Amino acid sequence: MAGEIKQMIDRIIEQRSQGNPALVSSTRIKLVMKGINPDKFNQDSANDPVILAKLQTLVQELGLTIP
Amino acid sequence: MGITVAYSTQGSVEAAVHELRGVLSASTTRMVIFFASSAYDPYQISARMHRAFAPATVIGSTTAGEIVSGHMLKNSVVAMALTSEVIQDVKVEVIEHLSEGIAVERAFSGFQTHFKTSMQAMNPDEYVGLVLVDGLSRAEEKLMDRIGDLTNIFFVGGSAGDDLHFSETYVFAEGNAYTNAAIVGVLCPAVEFRVVKTQSFCTLPKTLIATKVNEAHREVLEFNHRPAVQVYAEAVDCPVDEVPQHFFEHPVGLVADGEIFVRSPQQTQETSMVFYCNVLEGMELSLLKSTDILRDTRKALEDVHRELGTISGLINFNCILRTLELEQKGRISEYGKLFADIPMIGFSTYGEEYLGHINQTATMLVFK
Repeated sequence: MAGEIKQMIDRIIEQRSQGNPALVSSTRIKLVMKGINPDKFNQDSANDPVILAKLQTLVQELGLTIP
Repeated sequence: MGITVAYSTQGSVEAAVHELRGVLSASTTRMVIFFASSAYDPYQISARMHRAFAPATVIGSTTAGEIVSGHMLKNSVVAMALTSEVIQDVKVEVIEHLSEGIAVERAFSGFQTHFKTSMQAMNPDEYVGLVLVDGLSRAEEKLMDRIGDLTNIFFVGGSAGDDLHFSETYVFAEGNAYTNAAIVGVLCPAVEFRVVKTQSFCTLPKTLIATKVNEAHREVLEFNHRPAVQVYAEAVDCPVDEVPQHFFEHPVGLVADGEIFVRSPQQTQETSMVFYCNVLEGMELSLLKSTDILRDTRKALEDVHRELGTISGLINFNCILRTLELEQKGRISEYGKLFADIPMIGFSTYGEEYLGHINQTATMLVFK
């Protein structure tokens, strides 16, 4: 099923920002700086394994727990 | 007065520090930040500043030009003293040997021990970070990336300069001078504060996607699967051999959440382009067009002034490329005068830090 990248990005932003709008913005910017632009992915985006692996690594580096 | 600033153009370290000490002699000084021309011996000036203001925390860096309320200077030292009315608490750490790896974790462990709270849990409305980094280390991107991973508080700062010699830059902490290093500090201000980022560019409807890069050398080999120089030349509509003439006016920018993060070209190397900061493979960049630095900076200052009601102090990390542009246009003194009524120090940097490493930008820490 497509859209896993967007789901994962959304969870990273949600967990990291805890609903604080300033942190939603800064987290999105940090992702773009890492080469992952949240605006480029939607529910229909293919599950690119390279980007998914990059996001998995990022989740670990950020100390988050995303099932 | 919670924040006072001073500067000296005295040629000797001893005389310059003596002059600063005479103006900034508050017994409640909690922290002193200073920016010094590379004309001064870095080890001597750091040691003397530390001794002059002990027991305050003293940090600083070398510059490519200094800025103080109302004036853009050269071959000088500028300093800001912040009392405990402004800074409740501060902790500074040094990250050395940047070329061998970026050991942010050890520094952050020091912050956590000092403030008794984890860096992840720190409230960005209560704490702010300062970062001063060797401007020739090429380590800024990795440093800021790792800092951003480990905390939600905002780190603002600049890359040290050396008056355009491109030989050695230094950062200072607690009486020592370091190269190949970064000074990171966490401040717990007693007053409201804001971080400001301002750059003078608008985006043009021309997109360049970095399709082949050499990250380690900040080099883009191909945009849009074609030689980088050729694609850039077509975008700015000029012959390939005239490309460098357009770098000032037309850098490229990463646009994130409506904000521009400038990547400035430094030089061409055959068919590739070398930048002053990293462009990652796959990054989509917009061609930028310069706007008016004075007008945009004035607006940024008005906005933050309106938001805070008053400005008691401001630290300005202003890109050397902006300074050079202002010099070329004969507007350098006008820029200094924008800050005439604000206790301000700053310097012309080799790169600016805010959520990452950026170019042709001014990042500022502003206190109410």
